Amino acid sequence: MNKRVKFFAEQLLIVFNVFITFLLVFESKLEVPAWLQPLGRMHPLLLHFPIVLLLLAIGLQWYTGSSARSAGNVYGVFSRNLLLSGALLSGVTVIMGLFLSREEGYLGDTLLWHKWTGVGIFFLASVIYLVSGTSWYKGIIMKAAGTLAIASLVLTGHFGASLTHGEDFILQPLSVYYEAPPVPVDQAIVFDHLIRPVFEKKCISCHNPDKLKGELILADSASIVEGGKTGKLFVPGNPGISLLMERVHLPLEEKKHMPPKGKTQLTENEIALLTAWIRGGTPFTQKVVDLPPDDSLRLLAAAVLKPVETKEEQFDFAAADEKIIAKLNTDYVTIAPLSRSSPALEVNIYNRAAYTKKQLEALTEIRKQIVALNLNKLPVTDEDLKIIAQFENLRQLDLNFTDITAGGLKELAPLRHLKRLMASGTAIQYNELKAQLPLFKSLEIVSIWNTAITPGEAEQLQKDYPSIAFIKGFTDDGSNPLKLNPPQIANSSVVFDGQLPLQLMHPVKGVQLYYTTDGSDPDSIHSRLFDSGLVITENTTIRAKAFKEGWYSSEIAEFGFFRNRYVPDSVRLLYPLNSVHQAEDAHTFFNTKLGVIGANNPAWANYFAGVRHNDLALVSEFKQPVTLYSVGLHYMVEEATGIYPPAWVEVWGGENEHRLKLLVKMKPPLPARGDTPSLKLVEGSFTPQTLSYLKIIARPYADGEHKKLLLVDEMFLN
Amino acid sequence: MHKEIIEHGLTWNRRRFLSAMSLGVGSIALGSLLMPDLFSQAAGEEAALPPGIPHFAPKAKRVIYLFQNGAPSQQELFDYKPKLREMMGEEIPPSVRGTQRLTGMTANQSSFPLVGSFVDFKQYGQSGAWVSDLMPYTAKIVDDLCFVRSMYTEAINHDPALTFLQTGSQQGNRPSMGSWLSYGLGNENKNLPSFTVLLSRGVGNGQGVYSKLWSNGFLDSVHQGVQFSKGENPVLYIRDPEGMSRKDRREMLDNLAALNEMSYAAFGDPEITAKVQQYEMAYRMQTAIPEVMDLSKEPDDIVKLYGPDCLVPGTYAANCLLARKLSENGVRFVQLYHQGWDQHGNLPFEIAKQAMDVDQASAALVTDLKQRGLLDETLVIWGGEFGRTSYTQGRLTADNYGRDHHPRCFTIWMAGGGIKPGMVYGETDELGYNIVKNPVHVHDFQATVLHQLGLNHEKLIFKHLGRRYRLTDVSGRVVKDIIS
Repeated sequence: MNKRVKFFAEQLLIVFNVFITFLLVFESKLEVPAWLQPLGRMHPLLLHFPIVLLLLAIGLQWYTGSSARSAGNVYGVFSRNLLLSGALLSGVTVIMGLFLSREEGYLGDTLLWHKWTGVGIFFLASVIYLVSGTSWYKGIIMKAAGTLAIASLVLTGHFGASLTHGEDFILQPLSVYYEAPPVPVDQAIVFDHLIRPVFEKKCISCHNPDKLKGELILADSASIVEGGKTGKLFVPGNPGISLLMERVHLPLEEKKHMPPKGKTQLTENEIALLTAWIRGGTPFTQKVVDLPPDDSLRLLAAAVLKPVETKEEQFDFAAADEKIIAKLNTDYVTIAPLSRSSPALEVNIYNRAAYTKKQLEALTEIRKQIVALNLNKLPVTDEDLKIIAQFENLRQLDLNFTDITAGGLKELAPLRHLKRLMASGTAIQYNELKAQLPLFKSLEIVSIWNTAITPGEAEQLQKDYPSIAFIKGFTDDGSNPLKLNPPQIANSSVVFDGQLPLQLMHPVKGVQLYYTTDGSDPDSIHSRLFDSGLVITENTTIRAKAFKEGWYSSEIAEFGFFRNRYVPDSVRLLYPLNSVHQAEDAHTFFNTKLGVIGANNPAWANYFAGVRHNDLALVSEFKQPVTLYSVGLHYMVEEATGIYPPAWVEVWGGENEHRLKLLVKMKPPLPARGDTPSLKLVEGSFTPQTLSYLKIIARPYADGEHKKLLLVDEMFLN
Repeated sequence: MHKEIIEHGLTWNRRRFLSAMSLGVGSIALGSLLMPDLFSQAAGEEAALPPGIPHFAPKAKRVIYLFQNGAPSQQELFDYKPKLREMMGEEIPPSVRGTQRLTGMTANQSSFPLVGSFVDFKQYGQSGAWVSDLMPYTAKIVDDLCFVRSMYTEAINHDPALTFLQTGSQQGNRPSMGSWLSYGLGNENKNLPSFTVLLSRGVGNGQGVYSKLWSNGFLDSVHQGVQFSKGENPVLYIRDPEGMSRKDRREMLDNLAALNEMSYAAFGDPEITAKVQQYEMAYRMQTAIPEVMDLSKEPDDIVKLYGPDCLVPGTYAANCLLARKLSENGVRFVQLYHQGWDQHGNLPFEIAKQAMDVDQASAALVTDLKQRGLLDETLVIWGGEFGRTSYTQGRLTADNYGRDHHPRCFTIWMAGGGIKPGMVYGETDELGYNIVKNPVHVHDFQATVLHQLGLNHEKLIFKHLGRRYRLTDVSGRVVKDIIS
């Protein structure tokens, strides 16, 4: 280094020492003018240079040792020059830092430490520079001084970083993995577990006792209430005019928007939490569970906090021997651990027919480990409950729809851990239950629906035992009557040969069915009540409707019954059926299976045979001649999709297949545009005729060039 | 070989060892950068866990999946989009529609006019969930439900989409979700199959369901779904023929088992053991099934809860009631399919009927499980295989329209089984066409279902044909936000 430059630098170092001492002495009176503030703010920029230079210089001194002093040693000269530059730059940095610290927002212990260690480095570096030329600055002294300087650098750097980035900046990513488990809803306090975490995550790095930007501290409740430079943070009950929310909702570009642009922003949920908290009057010590159940803060809390029931119960008893468990697991008894590592066992017994008391007795081998027992719908008696009473750790017992009686529950009194008792659909009674409930100290849930206990008595129980939740179940209060579904028929087919007893039925018990046979609408006054007496002998249309007290009556159901006295011994088609409407080929027409409307139903595809481009023509043969007087054809009409009645139907008959005569020709009516789909019967009578061969020809209807589809499911010969 | 080992020992020197070491340490560090979980797993956890016990304490023990086959329109049921009514008849903006494929049914349409729902929506419950007037009973229980409005899938047609949702693959040679659960958790009640299937059909346009949907795939055949049908023989072929006593049946099975045992000793095929187990279960089912199927003992209030159709076998309501009974009897997975939700046209008329079929009984099932204390441990799922488009298919008239397939978003709901009640998760844009918040892929949904049953979807694996298979293939993440 040029001698003059060096001389000047050394003088400057002395000036800095004096100036910094001066600044430190008069610090409290210091007022940094605005034009100097940018200089102060360059402190974080500059500070890296002295750190590196000083470290390098000390390292070099260390390496070269005492030889550094001998004149002309390149290393020695170089390290001293480095030291001088480092000391000077650290001086500048200290001055800048002192300026910066006078700005608002810096206070507290961390700053104090940072300041004094920083200043210490500067003085130390100056001293080291001063003495590094002397003969005694070597060995242990040199190393001690160096170590001290390095330690100061590390400490200063650490405190400085804590100021800019916040405490625990470095370890924060790791701490995410070890985040404290969220508090369960039932223990949470509104401020501590809902609001404070938001401030801690997003605000506190700038608003803490060490770095109170805007003179605001968000670290404790007292300071939060106090507010900052601009005023109070919130008007309890009114988030709309609260400063806190104003800052949050300002556009991101706005200087006063919080958190400032570039910092992690609040999430929607967090904003909702803060809003709800202010609207609720900013409660600090209130518990979450004390809020009304429909409070928005409480609803939001559910998303943040751990739900109550996820607490997995820890059991202090030892696990049962696996061999015993395997032995007790049978076809009807299932024993399973709650999870892979749990000693607690859950037992289900199935199959009413196979149930015996012995199954319960066998379980006494694992009586300590059973925590849940499901006996739903089994014929369990009061006597059996004595065995269950030995299962001392039982928490859940399901006795729904078992044969226990009113007095039986007292047998279970030894079960002091019992939390959930299901006794719906049993013979339990109000008075007995009321007397027995005090025996169970831990009970939380009792199921009592479908028992003799009336809604009024259930209310009383709930009042007497507020700590127990009584499951009263769904009961129909009659305010919303339902509509009955339509009646059904139990007859296996609606096609009969001689006579058929009508079998109307309805799935709901206690329903009355009224019906008509004349095509009129049935009602419960004029129509006949179905009493299983009607025998059908002719083609009949039954229209039926279901009625029951407390229900709306059903839609009308319509059932056509058709007589077919003769089934031909063989049938063959003269022309092919449509390839997609084959059904059961020629047998379709005499299989007593009627189709239904609706292409989605299999009975549509399976039971209707169809033609479009040729006649539907078939010849039936009777081995023994029969005497007929009428022939009927059952078909579908769906005007919208072009499924039409036949244009005409001819019936030919005779003793000789090749010499048949026309018996009757029918022309069914055509549907009108927009008619709803329906099933129709066209029937033609003639003078009774004895015959062995019967030929039926049905021609598909044609609208000019456009041929319509003909679908026939059954024919009736009488 | 010996020579190579000696050579290897000789050529390894200090320098090579150290450079390899540094490379090793470096690659471990790099590895942990690329795979954040590399070190988070305790040693020994890697090994596949034996089936039969949950991996961790489960929230749910059983699933009832109310599958709405054909893809119900979310715009008419649960995803309220008033903007669609405002923009009725206007062309869907290209920026919204994007460039993804459409089905062959609408791809050639010259115009894609938006259509708003014909039915009104209201908010219900504390959760304030929007539900349409077509679902009055479901509306009453919204505080027990978690709606996921941001489901999406990869398939665009019914069969692949259905197969994807059920088996995790569109092709259909994999085990169904119910089979995976049966494999992972085993049987709760040894008198009934752990996976059962119930079918019903609405009046709307229907789509087929095939038995491949409840196939066990490459898993042991004891895990396949058993279909229960309506009528006298709910489970086919388990009734003894006339003249055969139960004692004869027992003897016959014992002798057959002895023969099968010999053949197993000779060939070692696990399917032989599976067969014997199935015979034995069928024998026990002969007494268990009539007990389960008997609806005559259901109290009147239960009939009113589900609606009178619950006593008519083969209806959706009857299947819901049956699902409760099966689930209550320890059946792990009850799969319902209700057909008829494919409203390409005539939507207002058909969907109203479809909704009426399922609304009361679906809500009743949740209520019924709750009053039996079973909802905590039973996961109920309601939903279809994909959604429907916000634009109309075919002609848009004043009172009629249709909607095409839309895999990019659809709504399902879940209840019980440790899923957060009273929650609406995910969001679609204001035209209901794309997801804007919290998308849930089919594999995410499957991972979540398995998680609720105490199974880690990444560890429930089965090795077949040289590779490991999972229900969630190679993706899926548990949707933690909807778990309580």
